[in-house]
Amino acid sequence: MRLLTSFLTLAALLNAADSLPKADTVLEKYVEVTGGKEAYDKVHSSISSGTMEIPAQNIKGTVTVYNSEPALEYTVIDISGLGKMEEGTDGNVAWALSAMQGARIKEGDERAAALKSANFKNRAHWQEFYKSAETVGVETVDGKACYKIVLTPKEGKPETEYYDKTSGLLVKQTATLKTPMGEIPVETSVSDYRKEGGLMVPHKMQQSAMGQQFQISIDSVMMNAEIPQDRYNLPPEIKALQAKAK
Amino acid sequence: MKVLRLICVFLSLLPLTGAAPLTPSRRKLDIDSFEFVWKRIQDRYWDPEQLEGKHGGLNWQAVHDELLPKMQSAANESEALGVLENMIGRLHLTHFAIIPNEVYSDLDEPSGGEGITGLDVRVVDGKPLVTSVASGVDARPGWEIVRIDQRKLAPVLDRVARMYERATIRDMMLVRAVTARLDGPVGVPVEIEFLDGENRLLKRRVVRVRPRGEVTRLGLMPAASVWYESRKLPGDIGYFTFNLFLDPGRLMPAFEEAVKTCARCAGIIVDVRGNPGGLGVMSMGMAGFFIERTDQQLGTMYMRNLPIKFVINPRQPLYKGPLAILVDGLSASTSEIFAGGLKDLGRARIFGTRTAGAALPSVIEKLPNGDAFQYAQANYLSDGGKALEGAGLQPDVQVENRREDLLAGHDRVSEAAVEWIQAQRKGN
Repeated sequence: MRLLTSFLTLAALLNAADSLPKADTVLEKYVEVTGGKEAYDKVHSSISSGTMEIPAQNIKGTVTVYNSEPALEYTVIDISGLGKMEEGTDGNVAWALSAMQGARIKEGDERAAALKSANFKNRAHWQEFYKSAETVGVETVDGKACYKIVLTPKEGKPETEYYDKTSGLLVKQTATLKTPMGEIPVETSVSDYRKEGGLMVPHKMQQSAMGQQFQISIDSVMMNAEIPQDRYNLPPEIKALQAKAK
Repeated sequence: MKVLRLICVFLSLLPLTGAAPLTPSRRKLDIDSFEFVWKRIQDRYWDPEQLEGKHGGLNWQAVHDELLPKMQSAANESEALGVLENMIGRLHLTHFAIIPNEVYSDLDEPSGGEGITGLDVRVVDGKPLVTSVASGVDARPGWEIVRIDQRKLAPVLDRVARMYERATIRDMMLVRAVTARLDGPVGVPVEIEFLDGENRLLKRRVVRVRPRGEVTRLGLMPAASVWYESRKLPGDIGYFTFNLFLDPGRLMPAFEEAVKTCARCAGIIVDVRGNPGGLGVMSMGMAGFFIERTDQQLGTMYMRNLPIKFVINPRQPLYKGPLAILVDGLSASTSEIFAGGLKDLGRARIFGTRTAGAALPSVIEKLPNGDAFQYAQANYLSDGGKALEGAGLQPDVQVENRREDLLAGHDRVSEAAVEWIQAQRKGN
């Protein structure tokens, strides 16, 4: 009986492996259903703004993300009672600045993750940022059967993404965020895809980290917005850190 | 409640009360409370493997199965409370506690309202002494408060002192018992009987006013007034004090400015006496002005399966001179993390009295039977590997203001820090 059970289990596993699509097929389908490579390549900048919330603590604030190619980003989060928290990259230096913690230049895996996140090509040209991608199974997320893909970046720890088998859309991501405070597991669920400038963009994100739930709702996305280049200039506090390090 | 909600406190086991037989409905509430407490610990204790007997822990399920029949057969409230205390006592962690309903109300007396009298109080040798007086209030530091609105303080303080006899939060709870009676609705007067410097009884009618500082709100935390003072002391010494680690948008730039204007000072004193804490992240931000290396940390907080390092981010302007931090039994949570971490790093010298030993993020929840359950959601070890919780931070220089000091206008703690800074200057 035990032998038969083992055989059936093995057969099921082999069948499952056979039926799983390759990761690049799943990732390419995502690019396709969210607008296609051509549409991605037509986007050169974006401004997204919305709200950020920690519902359990009734903490609310605003978030605005400026993004320009190739890998320029400036994010500002303003939370009542905590003040302004800024992050960004000029394509080379990744940094963070807040009244609470002061100025900080990101290094190593943390810098690599920031630059990858800021890069416009990280979806349509994912091969430039990941060493490998593998479909490891099918799991149900929020009632939807999803392909589970493990992506190993060129720098940093593997990330796991879950793509809806039916729609092809990304619904969840788990990753380990490397910060000076330690390695923090983060789970992000994305939903409410809407068309913005030729691309389907998620407007709701629910993040779970350090026992807290964060909700981000995007109210507006402006694709190919005019963003002055100096938007991405390093703040004086970051320049001072660079000067000190020399 | 303001302070109880804001701070992370440790409570020792409390005396048992009540011997009336249990009604069936009360018994059910006690059993529900038992299950509530057991499950909270099962779900939220920071090291779940310890609850499975690993790392020197215990079998938490076995504790449940052993004690549930005792709760089911408890003869009275006292026995039921004893079963709950027995359960959390198995953890051998002093910052988990069952707070009987009547004690909870003793510490959170009646007045309600945000008005304050402008009197700062500490209980020294069992006597509630005024330590500072807001302008416009006719009282003096060193006066003893005997009675507030007809109510004698001595019996209240005796009771609280007995309850917290072995607890590091004793000083905090004693002061809490006084301020709970002093505070009340804004504009409503309170009659206070003092013993003045010549031991004469004096009555004063003090109208409660809004707390000093600016009101800040952060999520569900109750609105809090945050104030700070920054000044230069004689001998070219910078002095900065503040009441809460909150409102970083206003407090941090003020702190930065204080450090900047003191770049060439003989020393800096940061006074966190009476400061119950607030946002832990601010301790790292403030420490950054005094630490040059990037690999330093104040300590580590162990949440469930997740260590969070309290890493110091060095920032400008960096101050390298002598740093003194003043603490007392009301310095808790983030204050202890800040002072304890910098002490362990050898960067600050600590003056005052033992801190509250209440560093952890903890929660107080009402139980179905009306008691309250306080539990910590994390463990915290300073950089030197010391647990602050339930132990407090021992200052390098133990010094306290006695009544005669206050009456003579002295602040012995601050003076000791000044002497040390001056000695450093001479030494250099």
